[in-house]
Amino acid sequence: MKSLTLALASIILAATSPALAQEREPAPPGSRAYIIWPRDGTVVEGGKLWVRMGLSEMGVAPSGVRKQGSGHHHLLVDTDLPPMDEPIPNNARHLHFGAGQTEARLELPPGRHTLQMLLGDADHVPHDPPVMSKKISITVK
Amino acid sequence: MKRISVLLATVLALTFPAIAAETTRQPAPAEAHLYIGWPNDGEVVDRRFKVWFGLRNMGVAPAGVAKDATGHHHLIIDAPLPAMDEPIPNDQHHRHFGAGQTETTLELPPGKHTLQLIMGDAEHVPHNPPVVSKKITVTVR
Repeated sequence: MKSLTLALASIILAATSPALAQEREPAPPGSRAYIIWPRDGTVVEGGKLWVRMGLSEMGVAPSGVRKQGSGHHHLLVDTDLPPMDEPIPNNARHLHFGAGQTEARLELPPGRHTLQMLLGDADHVPHDPPVMSKKISITVK
Repeated sequence: MKRISVLLATVLALTFPAIAAETTRQPAPAEAHLYIGWPNDGEVVDRRFKVWFGLRNMGVAPAGVAKDATGHHHLIIDAPLPAMDEPIPNDQHHRHFGAGQTETTLELPPGKHTLQLIMGDAEHVPHNPPVVSKKITVTVR
């Protein structure tokens, strides 16, 4: 009976949460992502800016390249963190830098905006634990 | 006459292998821009200081990864630019960041020092034309 329950539980779990089966890349110890520029609270004139993405104790590799201790940048604009156990969405609020870019050219409308970095592995899945920056706010005038 | 030219070309290629190697250099992406984000030129820094590698319109890939429009950083310390048609030397004056790192912490003796970045391709050979930063001078106190 016990083994039947276990078997059932595993089947249900595997079927309902396929992401659990996915092996997330371990984050290198001490790794840290941070937004070099702009700083939290910066007021930007015009709305066009370069975001400089900083990464400590870890390397950048284009998407699709499987190499331990590396990942590629994603910039979350005006949104919360996505689920950590599946590929980061790819849309206007989740910008992918799969070519190994370390800077992002943005054009934002006037108002307050939030920015947050999140590293993804070869398959765009966040590392374990996720390597992400603090969420900052900027104002476009 | 044609045969002589072919012979000449062969002799040239044999005596100057660099000429033959040059054809295999990776093209640099148009508008690629490499710069030292920190420290600034002329900055006075502590013995241990961080160096940020700035790169626009191009991506970072670890050494050994051959992908168009990417490369990895090399930091030249107190040395002139190396030869452009062969792998960048790997020594105290030419630091390699083959894991795709985009920053480093240096520890240099007091005095004036020069810093310059240069991108290398999968085989550590500079692109064509080379993607090189301005050479800056810092003073370690």
